[in-house]
Amino acid sequence: MPMTGPVLTRRIPTFPYGDPKKRRTYWYDDYVKSGGYESLRRALEQEPAHIVDMVKDSSLRGRGGAGFPCGLKWTFLPKDYEGQRYLAVNADESEPGTFKDRLILDYDPHMLLEGIAISCYACKLQTAYIYIRGEYHHQAHILEKAIAEAYDKGIFGGKGLLSGASSFKVDCYLHRGAGAYICGEETGLLESLEGKRGWPRIKPPFPAVKGLFGKPTIINNVETLCCVPFIVEHGVSWFKSLGCESTIKGPPSFGTKLMGVSGHVNRPGVYECDLGIPLSKLVEEYCGGMRNGKKFKSAIAGGISMGVLATDQYDAEMDFDIGRKYEVLGLGTACPTIFDEDTDMVMVARNITRFFKNESCGQCTPCREGSGWMYKLMCRIEAGEAKMKDLDLLLELAGSMGAMPGTTICGLADGNNWAVRTIVNKFRGEFEARVKPSFVPVTVGVG
Amino acid sequence: MAWITKNSATMTIERRQQPCLTEEMKADMSKRLLPRYETKMGALLPVLHEVQEHVGYLPHQALEEIAAFLELPPSAVLDTASFYEEFHFSPVGKYVIGVCQSIACEACGHQPIVDHLRSKLGVEPHETTSDGLFTLLCMECLGSCDTAPCALVNEDRHDLINIEQMDQMIDEIRAREGGQG
Repeated sequence: MPMTGPVLTRRIPTFPYGDPKKRRTYWYDDYVKSGGYESLRRALEQEPAHIVDMVKDSSLRGRGGAGFPCGLKWTFLPKDYEGQRYLAVNADESEPGTFKDRLILDYDPHMLLEGIAISCYACKLQTAYIYIRGEYHHQAHILEKAIAEAYDKGIFGGKGLLSGASSFKVDCYLHRGAGAYICGEETGLLESLEGKRGWPRIKPPFPAVKGLFGKPTIINNVETLCCVPFIVEHGVSWFKSLGCESTIKGPPSFGTKLMGVSGHVNRPGVYECDLGIPLSKLVEEYCGGMRNGKKFKSAIAGGISMGVLATDQYDAEMDFDIGRKYEVLGLGTACPTIFDEDTDMVMVARNITRFFKNESCGQCTPCREGSGWMYKLMCRIEAGEAKMKDLDLLLELAGSMGAMPGTTICGLADGNNWAVRTIVNKFRGEFEARVKPSFVPVTVGVG
Repeated sequence: MAWITKNSATMTIERRQQPCLTEEMKADMSKRLLPRYETKMGALLPVLHEVQEHVGYLPHQALEEIAAFLELPPSAVLDTASFYEEFHFSPVGKYVIGVCQSIACEACGHQPIVDHLRSKLGVEPHETTSDGLFTLLCMECLGSCDTAPCALVNEDRHDLINIEQMDQMIDEIRAREGGQG
């Protein structure tokens, strides 16, 4: 039977389907009563390879930021390797503006565990680690309890998945981070899991071949894994009926997406929408419009590293095409931060550069030094002490560091660059009004 | 903070008689944490978390004991521990107030609250009050942008904070702790 209404938030009351005040955590019994672990049961009746094919056919794209096709990633695992393989679940949601996974961890932890169990079965991964950020204390406690319940009820460990319905045995552990944004980068996360500093690795080898402890490893975001049970239960064509096709002949954006809206709106929060919803509709219909009747000025597309949308891009469709269509880096986590007409965009740029300066891991020189320089330049511009040429220097710096110019290992610097570049390019007037002219006044006497 | 450099030649390590990592803790962790990871080093982060929770911070003696426990060089333990912001190498206040300073919180006005806390507590960010009660931190995104501005007080997140609310909380803590001491 095709499913209608909310998907990921079907147990988490969310506007317009339910009242957020009625949210509560679904523990094992409630979860099973409301149809939980049914998808796992169904998955175990099928061949693992069939599930991988389903996820691949559904065109499910990673919800963690990069939008990489999930099924394709799964096929990168070595075919003839029978030894230990790992699943690393990325719950290190540290990108400013992003808080969508927290909703799942807070209220529906077993949905994630079911996704983990199915994915581990499909890809033959014996051990799963949930890497949760250190600041999520409350969520870590919830997950600890949920994992203990799942062990107790025979989902994990023991005789095999679902109390021995499959002889394949999966272990699932929670691993707490300790306050480092870079550990959300997939190879930084693996280093951190191994007990080292979270320094991203040079790729290749890719984690699917040589990952955690040198073994094949799949790394998926919380929300991505939560989509898997629904694809198994309701089918590929159902999933493809949600979301949208690409309008620029790119890969499609199927499915629903948790969108966490923050900033100057009346009702900030997480909403579940089909991919492709215009930002203006998200703000006006879901979030109750702009706060205090102000006008829209700008929005961070989805996590600060994606850059900002200009005032005339209010109708931008929130799908994976957004990067190519609206000159931002991409959809990111689809968690926009909205700014009203009174917002100082120079402040926004300064705040973002401070974040990246603080969070640069220090491994690659262009990022370590460049992010510090950019922050200093931004402070100078904000204080009105910079010159016009500093603005060009800022853009030159932004163009010289990052994985895309090929000077760093990971994409942290690219996030910094895109944020700064898009803000300066789209709101250049505000920056120019804050800087002094670069020329030196010269008095020439005539006669 | 990515880099902490120390002049190891002049560094002295304060030691106390009783170990930071007790035998019971070691036995418990060997049973519960170590089997989860392929290498002993894999358990380093959880071990650091638990020792910090037990001692309150991570004195160098604790790092040495952890190194011995996990059969690692002490430098490797310091290397990892110093990378992460949540690990403290000197005592912190009983109540750590971490105000989020990332974009949604700044756009929704975190600065007046931080300024107020600085003057009320008489400390700058990353400092501890002389009575050892409060440490003020400015943190990066706490993942609660819908309820900006927000702050983390020890493990509890406080949403939609304002000056009055923070004042009331601090006064209550001071009355409670002052009454005991």
